Amino acid sequence: MLRFAFGRILSAIPTLLIVSVTVFFLIRLVPGDPAALLMGDHGDAAALAELRERLGLDQSVLTQFRIWFFNLLSGDFGTSIWIGDPVLPLILQRFMVSVQVVIPAVIFATLVAVPAGILAAARQNSAVDVSLISIATLLLSVPTFWLGLLLLLVFGLHLGWLPVVGYVSMRTDFVGGLLYLVLPVVTLFLHEIGTIIRMSRASTLEVLGLDYITHARAKGLSEGMILWRHTFKNAFGPTLTLLGLILGNLLSGIAVIETVFTIPGLGRLMVDAIYARDYPVIQGCMLFIAFIYVLVNLCIDLLYSFFDPKVVTQ
Amino acid sequence: MKHLLLTTVATLALAGAAQAQSTLNVSLNADLRTNDPGVNRDGNSDGLLMHILEGLVGARNDMSIAPMLAEKVDVSDDFKTFTFVLRDGLKFHNGASVTSAEFLWSWNRYMDPATQWSCRADFDGSRVVEVTSVETPDPKTVVMTIAEPSPVFLALLARPECGQTAILHPDSVDDSGKYQFPIGTGPFKWQEWRKGEYVQLEAFADYVSPSNEGTADGLVGNKDPLVGFLRYMVVPDGATVIAGIRSGAIHFGSIAAEQIDEFRDIPTLQLLNVPTGGHNILYFQTRNTPLDNVEIRRAIAEAIDLDQLVAAASNGTGTPNMSLIPVGSSWYSDIQAQRPAYDPESAKARLAAAGYKGEPITIKANRRGNVPSYPAAIVAQAMLQAVGINAQIEVLDFAIQTDQRREGLGQISSVSVTPRLDPSFTYTFFIGNKDDDPSRMWEDPRAIELMDRSYVETDPDKRQQIFDELHLLMMEEVPSVFIYNMVYNWLAPKSLTGMPVWESYPRLWNVALD
Repeated sequence: MLRFAFGRILSAIPTLLIVSVTVFFLIRLVPGDPAALLMGDHGDAAALAELRERLGLDQSVLTQFRIWFFNLLSGDFGTSIWIGDPVLPLILQRFMVSVQVVIPAVIFATLVAVPAGILAAARQNSAVDVSLISIATLLLSVPTFWLGLLLLLVFGLHLGWLPVVGYVSMRTDFVGGLLYLVLPVVTLFLHEIGTIIRMSRASTLEVLGLDYITHARAKGLSEGMILWRHTFKNAFGPTLTLLGLILGNLLSGIAVIETVFTIPGLGRLMVDAIYARDYPVIQGCMLFIAFIYVLVNLCIDLLYSFFDPKVVTQ
Repeated sequence: MKHLLLTTVATLALAGAAQAQSTLNVSLNADLRTNDPGVNRDGNSDGLLMHILEGLVGARNDMSIAPMLAEKVDVSDDFKTFTFVLRDGLKFHNGASVTSAEFLWSWNRYMDPATQWSCRADFDGSRVVEVTSVETPDPKTVVMTIAEPSPVFLALLARPECGQTAILHPDSVDDSGKYQFPIGTGPFKWQEWRKGEYVQLEAFADYVSPSNEGTADGLVGNKDPLVGFLRYMVVPDGATVIAGIRSGAIHFGSIAAEQIDEFRDIPTLQLLNVPTGGHNILYFQTRNTPLDNVEIRRAIAEAIDLDQLVAAASNGTGTPNMSLIPVGSSWYSDIQAQRPAYDPESAKARLAAAGYKGEPITIKANRRGNVPSYPAAIVAQAMLQAVGINAQIEVLDFAIQTDQRREGLGQISSVSVTPRLDPSFTYTFFIGNKDDDPSRMWEDPRAIELMDRSYVETDPDKRQQIFDELHLLMMEEVPSVFIYNMVYNWLAPKSLTGMPVWESYPRLWNVALD
């Protein structure tokens, strides 16, 4: 298994290389000069030229790429043009904030939505099924920012149960930090369960229609036993794939939720960097996100072998 | 044991409550870029640092310049030697006394290219003035000498975007010369910066404020810290700012003009509409066709009903002003109040005389919430179309709009420009040869000559004449349409007392929470 994991990480190197080259050149195709934005409406053309020179933006794009790439090989992701901080520590710090929201939300969503999907499939076309599918569709249709603002207004402003604005790190104040995370986690949780319920239901229905389930029923096994022993493990594969995609997607940034709830996470860092044309931060974020996708998918592949022994990881 | 525990809990609760009561929470739309004055700065950084740092001189409400750390400023007859005498009893936040030696240390640091102070070129002879010497004959006196007479030297020193050329204590940098955090003389001292979350300042108990009869005046005047702590919270989303203010988590925040109607009559909240010296402009690229034709520019000016446009774009809070000098400035004269009359028929006649055949004229705008770029463009478009101009709107990302304006591209750009302390600085932003700097709007040699004169004329009356001449020339040449001075809309609970704004900055001394 270790060899498999190591091989997968090695095989990701070409992907990361392609991402680094693509992102570097694509972001420079987008109009907008970071030096001009830094200066705002102060400074003349000479001052702008001086700033561009100081930031290395006066050099050819190929030279800029060469410098950035060789620094990258030595672990130096560069320095933010906008705030002057080293990029990698900045990304890691912001990523850890996003993780505090994403991981609990995905875990809770999985724990609720997978059984709910199985239940809906087991009671296909019943009131339970219709209700669950309706809830899932409704949650899927509601935009995250609207849902977030609604929860914020109800539980923060009107009921006053939870803080409305701000962020406290759990390392500074564990209980206070938890309180600040409740609303963003619940928002994300509600938004994600819709997708997972639908996938879980669909894959369970597919398995329930197979011959070996009919055979199990003919043997007189209980419905509970059939669902747990014979259906769940086989039906969970597609949901697991979806969970990998969801997790990768969310870990790469939940900018809307982070903006509404003033959470200094990776998504907000990247959005701010794009508006400011902060090239080193954008490049660093994209590379980091590509790596996270590789890592999450690797974990999912390793988990496959647990749910389906036919999947060999050696 | 149980008693001890209860006592501890009660004490902690009381301490927490006391601190919470005296902490004033302000929202910032983005994190600080820096805590180093005038280095990689932006408006948020300038506005926060002015609570911590002070220079020899500062700006009043009307943007004139007055002593700040200096008790008095003597200017030699030839306007080349400026002698500053420091006030008595001044202390840094670390308890050290303020002397002229710290000013000299700060000045040398600012002028060291390694510091990357954004205003260095204004003092080294490459742009505005050349400081030839800085002397400190005694601990209370600083003597600065410049090569040529300059009426704007004090204003150059006082600019918020230059960190007010503040006196820093040398311990603001570590032994290796790396900047740590600002140790200044202002009413609040630096406490904590959690990047992306908040910056917290603490009241400086030993602050010696100028009395000014208890009244704040720009960045000078009375500056007593009346709350224990200031917490600048990074809240990028406007809806969250409002929710925060309604819930009491935020005490002071800026809201967009279109949101103000909602808050006009709420008994627990106060709405402040504060005009600033910044300008909202329909910025013309005067070399590009058809705006290279002065008759077309005049037609545009006459086609725009400025009162109506300002009322719509500012939601009733703005005052029309076609002058480059803000309405509240000490330089704003009756002549500055002149503007072209709204005259659609004359505009049509001018268009016909200029041979205008319906070529598209594009107004570039951005959708940032804190400036009226887009609403101003929409209203202007309707007014221009009403006289037969084929006006189009192109909405751009702010970065692209900025880039295009700097490169002299396009035709009209609906933009906002931040305030400058002296009219000469504002004119410099707009006037100049486009071959040297394509971002300049107006390259009329007469305007360039007048602007250059404004930098050397030391007689205030003659400077006023220069500005008035410039304004009259501008009304004739219409290099752009200046709409109104920027208005910022702020929301606070009624329990907040004092005037918490100066220009576009929260100004939180002499402000209390009842």
